[in-house]
Amino acid sequence: MMDVFNWDGTVSAKDFRIGALSFAQKWESLNSAFPPWSWVPCPKHPWLASPEEEGYLSLENICISRPYEVDIDQNSQTDPGEEETSCSEKEDDIDDATLVQSNHHELHYCDFHIVYSYTFRVPVLYLRAYCSDGRPLLLDEIEKELPACSSKESPETKWAFITQEEHPYLKRPWYKLHPCGTSEFMKLLFLGGDTGQPKLEVVLELYLLSWFSAVGQVVGLRIPCKMLNDRR
Amino acid sequence: MAAESPTSVRKVVVHLRATGDAPILKQAKFKIPGTDKFAKVIDFLRRQLHRDTLFVYVNSAFSPNPDELVIDLYNNFGFDGKLVVNYACSMILTSYFHTSKGISLVVF
Repeated sequence: MMDVFNWDGTVSAKDFRIGALSFAQKWESLNSAFPPWSWVPCPKHPWLASPEEEGYLSLENICISRPYEVDIDQNSQTDPGEEETSCSEKEDDIDDATLVQSNHHELHYCDFHIVYSYTFRVPVLYLRAYCSDGRPLLLDEIEKELPACSSKESPETKWAFITQEEHPYLKRPWYKLHPCGTSEFMKLLFLGGDTGQPKLEVVLELYLLSWFSAVGQVVGLRIPCKMLNDRR
Repeated sequence: MAAESPTSVRKVVVHLRATGDAPILKQAKFKIPGTDKFAKVIDFLRRQLHRDTLFVYVNSAFSPNPDELVIDLYNNFGFDGKLVVNYACSMILTSYFHTSKGISLVVF
């Protein structure tokens, strides 16, 4: 049996599918405050019964705008907090905030798909973003919204590894994080362990979670610590 | 586990470990307040190594978000009274993760 040291950092389509299902399950049970990922099956040849079901993980309609900055400002100006005894006043405040929000800050949404690449034998993150009226966002517009991490400065953000390509199942243009370095960093991730090399089966079980802990950060999606910890 | 002080002021021993061909630090262990963000550890590494691109991860499996608190990481991945943080410098990664400061796994 191959050990981690000789492993090339890739996964098989089957391991991807198994990992994807358990990733979605784990996410739902340990990150329930966030919308769940769902597995979208897509048979490549619908007329053939394939033993190995193909598909991808999907997380859609995630609001990526940061309207709360506006919200907080508005609340501090219009709602000092002491006047919450009256219901009608509270309603007024809510209406007020909505109005301001739609004037200054249009809400943007993002869809994320995790698709298996048969060429690179690794998971690939696809994304697309759009306004509430359905207009798709261009990459530089997405960059302004993503990610909502700790960055104070990000005007010169350059996403050289994000390209627009055809979604392999939906056949529409989506943005994708190019997977050319994925197997290298996945291999690196599992080296240098504290208690010797982990078994390859353990590595493959953790693969998607580990991969997403790194790649998710690029688009501002975060895995809670406890989800990473609860792995045995 | 140091039980005497409350979580808010507890210090965490961070053990920095080089992976691959990354240079080894003279001082690989240091204490950091648990309330600090993981970004501080990344910043420290960047300054020590004079490297722009780093791949920083814990538990040989996960790349923590820079916003994560050190104490939370310790509580989840701490072992033997310390938090082991692996770091690697790789040319492959340099070209791959061409992003700006602090927003992804690589910090320029």
